[in-house]
Amino acid sequence: MSALGGPKQTGGVQSPTAIGIVISIVLIIVALGLAYYLVQMAGVIALVGIIIGGVLVAFGVHFVPVGGAPAAMGQSPGIATGVAMLAAGAGLAGLFGGAWAAPFGLAVALAGGAVGGGLLMAITCTMVNVIYIFGMGIPAASGKVDKDPITGDTFPEYKSQGTEGHGLPFISWIGGVVGGALGGLGGTLIYLELLDIYQAQLPVLLNATVEQIAPVAISLAGIFAVAMFLINAVLAAYNITGTIEGPHDPKFKRFPRAIIAAAVASAVAGIFAIALLELVGVF
Amino acid sequence: MSVKVEVGAGGIPHNQVLIYGLVGSLVLIYLTYLNTYFQTQYFAFFGGLAAVAALIWGTDTIKHLCSYGLGTGVPSAGMIALGSGVIAALFGATTGVLAPIVTVIIAAIIGAVAGLMANAVVRMDIPVMVISLIELAIVGAMTVLGLAAMACGTFEFLGMITGTVSILGFTIQTYETSVIGGSIIAVIFMLGAIAIQHSFNACLGPGEQQDRTLTLAAECGFLSMITVAIISFAFIGMYAALVALVVSIIGWFYTYRKYIALSKRDAYAWLDAQPIMEPKGGA
Repeated sequence: MSALGGPKQTGGVQSPTAIGIVISIVLIIVALGLAYYLVQMAGVIALVGIIIGGVLVAFGVHFVPVGGAPAAMGQSPGIATGVAMLAAGAGLAGLFGGAWAAPFGLAVALAGGAVGGGLLMAITCTMVNVIYIFGMGIPAASGKVDKDPITGDTFPEYKSQGTEGHGLPFISWIGGVVGGALGGLGGTLIYLELLDIYQAQLPVLLNATVEQIAPVAISLAGIFAVAMFLINAVLAAYNITGTIEGPHDPKFKRFPRAIIAAAVASAVAGIFAIALLELVGVF
Repeated sequence: MSVKVEVGAGGIPHNQVLIYGLVGSLVLIYLTYLNTYFQTQYFAFFGGLAAVAALIWGTDTIKHLCSYGLGTGVPSAGMIALGSGVIAALFGATTGVLAPIVTVIIAAIIGAVAGLMANAVVRMDIPVMVISLIELAIVGAMTVLGLAAMACGTFEFLGMITGTVSILGFTIQTYETSVIGGSIIAVIFMLGAIAIQHSFNACLGPGEQQDRTLTLAAECGFLSMITVAIISFAFIGMYAALVALVVSIIGWFYTYRKYIALSKRDAYAWLDAQPIMEPKGGA
C-alpha cells in the first residue's frame, strides 16, 4: 500500500460506523417511499426485488475464489483475475440464462439464471485447476485453513514456502459454483422486476403494443441489471479488499457489511431505474 | 492484488483537470443539440468528443483513487463508474433539453451513495473515496450519454428508442432499430468501460507521467469513438456518420502518434526493431 494511507489491514472486522447505518436506513426508507409514490404497490414490490437481487449478488461475490495478480503467478489460491471480471462473467452468463427463460415464468427464469451463473463458474474453476495442475504443475493447497472442510484433505504439506497457498481446493470450487449461482439468481431477479415495470409502462406511454416495445423494455432492463450487478460486485470487492479464497476464508465473515452497502446502493440505483419513464415527455 | 501502485508527481493539478473535463464535456454534449436546432445530423460527433473529455478527466480521477491501493485492481473503479453512470445517463436522457445537467446531478447522487457505503459501511476509510466515486459516476454518465448521442444524433430519450427502417421504399417507424431497442447501449457501455479502465492500468508504475497517461486516455476515447461512428451509419445520415468517422480517425491518429512519442520520451532506451527478413532462397 502507498504512503498515502489506504485500507487498514486489520485482523478483526471493523463494524460500520453509526452514521453509515443511519444513512443506510434513511436511504432505503426514502427509496421505498418514492417507489410507492411513483408506481404504487408494484413499485415497492419491484424495488424490494431489486434490493434482494443486489444483496444476493454482493453475497455471492464472497463465495467466489478471487485470486488476483498473485494467483496468476501461483502464489495465492483462487482464479487469477479481479472480482469485476469474474462477477461480470458469472453475472452476464446468468443474466443470459435468465433472460432466455423469462417467458416461462418467474421460478423457471430465476432457476435459469442461477444455473447459467453456476455453470460458468463451474467451467471456469475446473479449467483453472486443469491449467494449474497439468500446465503449471502445482497442487491445490489453501493457505488460510489446514484442512478442507468438505473432503478433509490436508494442505500444509503441499503448500510451497513463501506462498499463501496455490491452486483451487475443492472448497473453493464449491464456493465458486455457489457464488456464480447466487450472482446469476440476483442479476436475473433485478432484470425480471425491471422488465415487469417497463412492460407495463411503455405501451401506455408510447401508445404501442407490448410486442412493439419489447426490444426497448428488454434492452433497458438488461442494461440496468448489468449496471446494478457491477455496482454491487465492486462494493463487495471493496469489502474483501480484492482477494478471497472462498467460504472458508476468514474474510468471508465480513459479508454483513457488503449486504448493507449493496442493499442501499441497489435501492438508490433501483429507484432511478423504476422512475425512468416518469419524466418522459414532461420537459 | 496487493500490488503497489506508484503514481508520478507533477503535471496539471487534479482540480484543474476536473474543471476542464466537466465544463468541456457539458459544453461539447450541448453542441450536439445544434442537430435539433438546425434540423440536421452533422453535429453528432460532438457527443463523442464530450466522451473523450470526460474520459481524460476520469483517468486522472482513477489515478488519484487507485494511488491509495484499493486492492481490487484498477478495472473495478472503471466498472463502478460506468455502472452508476449508465443509470444516471438514461434517467437524465428522459428530461429533454436538460438531459446533460440532470445526468450530472443524478450521477453525483448515485456516486455519493456508493462512496458513502464504501467508506462508512464497508470501511475502506479512504479520504478521497466519496469525491472520487462522485466524479467517476459523472464521468461514466457523460461517456455513455455522449457516445449514445453520437450514435443517434440526439441525447433525448425518445430519439434513442425510436428508429426508422425502410422496406420497399416505405419508411416506417420502429423501436427495434434504435440505440436502446437494438441494445447498442450495451456496446456503448463496454466501449466506455474499456476506455476508462485501460489507460491508468497500462501506464501505472514507476515513471508514470500524467501527460502520457492522459494522452492514452484520449486515444482510448477516440478508439471507442471510431466504433461508435461506424455504428452510427445505421442511425444517422450517411454523410453525418462519415464526418463523425473522419473526426474520430483523425483524433485517434493524432493521439496515437503523440502517445508513441511520449512513450519514447519516457523510455530508458528505444530500439526501432525491423521485421526479421527471410533469407532469399530459404534457409
